Amino acid sequence: MNRRNFIVSSIAVGGGLLLKFENSLGANADSEIGNFLRVSSNGDVIFHFVKHEMGQGVSTAMAQIISEELCADWSRVKIDLPLADMKKYNANFDTGGSCTIIYQWDLLRQAGAMARQMLIQAAAQQWNTTPENCYAENHMVINRQSSRKIGFGQLASAAAKLNPPKEVKLKTSKEYNIIGKRKKAILVPEIVTGSLQYGIDVKLPGMLYAQIERCPVFKGKLKSFDATNALKVEGVKQVFTTKPIAGLQTLTPYMPHDIREGVVVVADSFWAAKKGREALIIEWDEGVNGNLSTEDFEKLAQQRAMHRTDPTGYTGDENAVSNVDHVRKTLRAQYVFPHQLHSCMEPLNCTAHANPDGCEIWMGSQAPNLIVTELARNFQWKEENIKVHLFTSGGGFGRRYYPDMAFEAAYISKIAGNIPVKMMWTREDEHRCNLGHMFQHMEYQAALDKDGKLYAWYEKELRTYTWAARYHDPALPTMAYEIPNVRFDFEDLIADELVHSSAWRGVIIHGRAYAECFVDEIAADQKKDPYEFRLSMLSKDRDVHVGDGNFLSSKRMRNVLMLACSKAGWGKPMSAGRGMGICLYPYGGSYVCTVAEITVTNEKVKVDRVTVALDCGLVINPLGVENQVTGGIVWSLTALFHGGMPIKNGRVMHSNFHQNKLLRMDECPEMEVHFVETNDEKPGGVGEISSPMAVPAVLNAIYAATGKRIRKVPISLQDIIPG
Amino acid sequence: MGLRPIFMHDQDILMSFTMMDLKINNKTHSVEVDPTMPLLWVIRDYVGLTGTKYGCGIAQCGACTVHLDGKAVRSCSIPVSAVANKNITTIEGLSANGTHPLQIAWQEEDVPQCGYCQAGQIMTAASLLKDHPNPTDEEIVAGMKGNLCRCGTYERIKKAIKRTVKK
Repeated sequence: MNRRNFIVSSIAVGGGLLLKFENSLGANADSEIGNFLRVSSNGDVIFHFVKHEMGQGVSTAMAQIISEELCADWSRVKIDLPLADMKKYNANFDTGGSCTIIYQWDLLRQAGAMARQMLIQAAAQQWNTTPENCYAENHMVINRQSSRKIGFGQLASAAAKLNPPKEVKLKTSKEYNIIGKRKKAILVPEIVTGSLQYGIDVKLPGMLYAQIERCPVFKGKLKSFDATNALKVEGVKQVFTTKPIAGLQTLTPYMPHDIREGVVVVADSFWAAKKGREALIIEWDEGVNGNLSTEDFEKLAQQRAMHRTDPTGYTGDENAVSNVDHVRKTLRAQYVFPHQLHSCMEPLNCTAHANPDGCEIWMGSQAPNLIVTELARNFQWKEENIKVHLFTSGGGFGRRYYPDMAFEAAYISKIAGNIPVKMMWTREDEHRCNLGHMFQHMEYQAALDKDGKLYAWYEKELRTYTWAARYHDPALPTMAYEIPNVRFDFEDLIADELVHSSAWRGVIIHGRAYAECFVDEIAADQKKDPYEFRLSMLSKDRDVHVGDGNFLSSKRMRNVLMLACSKAGWGKPMSAGRGMGICLYPYGGSYVCTVAEITVTNEKVKVDRVTVALDCGLVINPLGVENQVTGGIVWSLTALFHGGMPIKNGRVMHSNFHQNKLLRMDECPEMEVHFVETNDEKPGGVGEISSPMAVPAVLNAIYAATGKRIRKVPISLQDIIPG
Repeated sequence: MGLRPIFMHDQDILMSFTMMDLKINNKTHSVEVDPTMPLLWVIRDYVGLTGTKYGCGIAQCGACTVHLDGKAVRSCSIPVSAVANKNITTIEGLSANGTHPLQIAWQEEDVPQCGYCQAGQIMTAASLLKDHPNPTDEEIVAGMKGNLCRCGTYERIKKAIKRTVKK
């Protein structure tokens, strides 16, 4: 795509070059805040970072891309978070789906190269020579003939008076010296001193604190409340309900969310608000879910898994699994991935200051665009009267995509009399009244022919969440194995869910990667080595269409499989109680193979080592990618050992980290990340790629170590060693 | 069904605010607060030091770790009335300009991801190094396993602590 029309230049306040987006109406964004790259007269390069940094390292990787093309000195590059402004940034704001680098790649390179060319042109003018006689290197423009040098800072103001070039020459990958290098995250110095501000750290003059006692049962209603005692708590100012904004928010263009009915306590401190809440007397109407529990829901999913629907997609014969002419043996297994909590270390929060015409919001958000459109729609405010101040956040993992916190906070501020209010969720609120990761139930069937070859694969997914509605285009299991007949069925469980489901790091792949456990089951049935079995089904180089316009490269699958197994020492002798397991799965155009090595004793299952091989195309920041991949493994192991959101009588049973445990340092395995060398000129996404993968790998390793198949997480020792 | 029990007692509701002097990072702060308020909220909302984070409120995650007379404690679970006349150190007071060996090691190992838990991790590690200036792997794990990190930075935390020992 030709992006240059989106970028314009101007002189920065205080001198220097500014590059900014031109909005769709053609008017220039002319305040400093609307810009995304600034070269100051003192030489500092400030990159206004419009995506959300939540620990995934995109601020650093994006700065690397733009700095590379700019030929900047990396140590002079700083980042800054601008005010959300949909017009200025062409709605390029949302951060999710491991897509940021993929979609920003062209734009950032173009912008960096454009600024570089303008600096070169400014230098050429100063030297009375042509731009062709000059080049940029390490924050300076150099004259090829005279070898004279001028720093970017000295050129910035002159460059700002030039028109952006129509064509820019981008670097080739051989010329990279920032892209592909191990760069430490730009924000780390602020983090280690405690000076980095998160949304939760905001303090405004006259600000009050709010907490909401929400209905503990999804779809339940507030019957009545008595605030007499709450209002006696020193510091409590107001008590009112959030009923008018509550309910399932399904009119949103995408990412439907839920706001529970509740009673809000506004006070002069967090603590007074908490004490006020505890003094409330509330009666709930628990509604349709009030006497339902996880077991009821799982039974329902299991029943629905038994019957076939119309296939969502298939190759070959759609009924091949039951083709008695070919099939000699069938295998079948059901796997369950339960609801999970995001457990961002920074609890959900939002500070809002409403006014008669709109609202100002302060929070870390993966989708500020959704906040603006949702607040505008629900409060009849004009979009331009809603300002969103952005912060990095203490973890997002999909949860901070949803705008419900802003919705609640804006409403509270408005009803409290247009005063600034910081609305905070306690950790207990996060457990009891939250959106959860979708529930997935996977049904697998395999048919083997007379030679023991895998003749047909049937997969049915049941889950509680889809982005929009259903799979619109033919979808197939996400695998590149050579299987003549493959069929995929899908059914949603949305109408019956016991918590509202949402996107959780790794999203739908958590359930679907269980396919790698079923592959392992087939290999075991055929007494084949799991590595050799996979390799035998990836022998040809093919681009396999898996539906929805996506293709998988069997070659790249094979490459990560071979690299991971060779680094892990696949096939080495293992003592009793020890085992290795493989999970080979793609994620959004990238490929990953995870090998887990474990020890099972009478006391515990210990994951000793996890080896990951990755093909994510061109790697922008190997250090950042390693951090993402090892962090994803820890994420996956939390789900394996501790996760889940058990529900009894409509209420989530866990209330805090003592029940809903997260993996701790003593459970953390040794981890290695290896990259497949590629000639790829484009980067892939990595933020979520490993987060589903340790579960199947460890479950397969448990089978190798003990002969026990576990088909549901979280696991317990009793699943493996009964009694 | 539906009516929730009341955990509060009248004396809690009527507890009156108290004037207190707190010594935080070698500076005395006078605050008038509910004496049952956890130290965490006084540090954050009254004194205005926001490097100390709220994570769970029940001493399970360690994000709120500060030093009380040099020892790591969970500020979310200590009422402010218990800390008068004690020396309180937060991440902002651990060193001048972020030069504590752990703060430097944290940067060298690129430890943080979202960073939210890291002040608590560093404060816990600093206390660990006081007790065990040359900790074994087991001592590091035993000292640090009370601190949660959802981003999964545990391996690098371990490396960073070891890096300070090597020096």
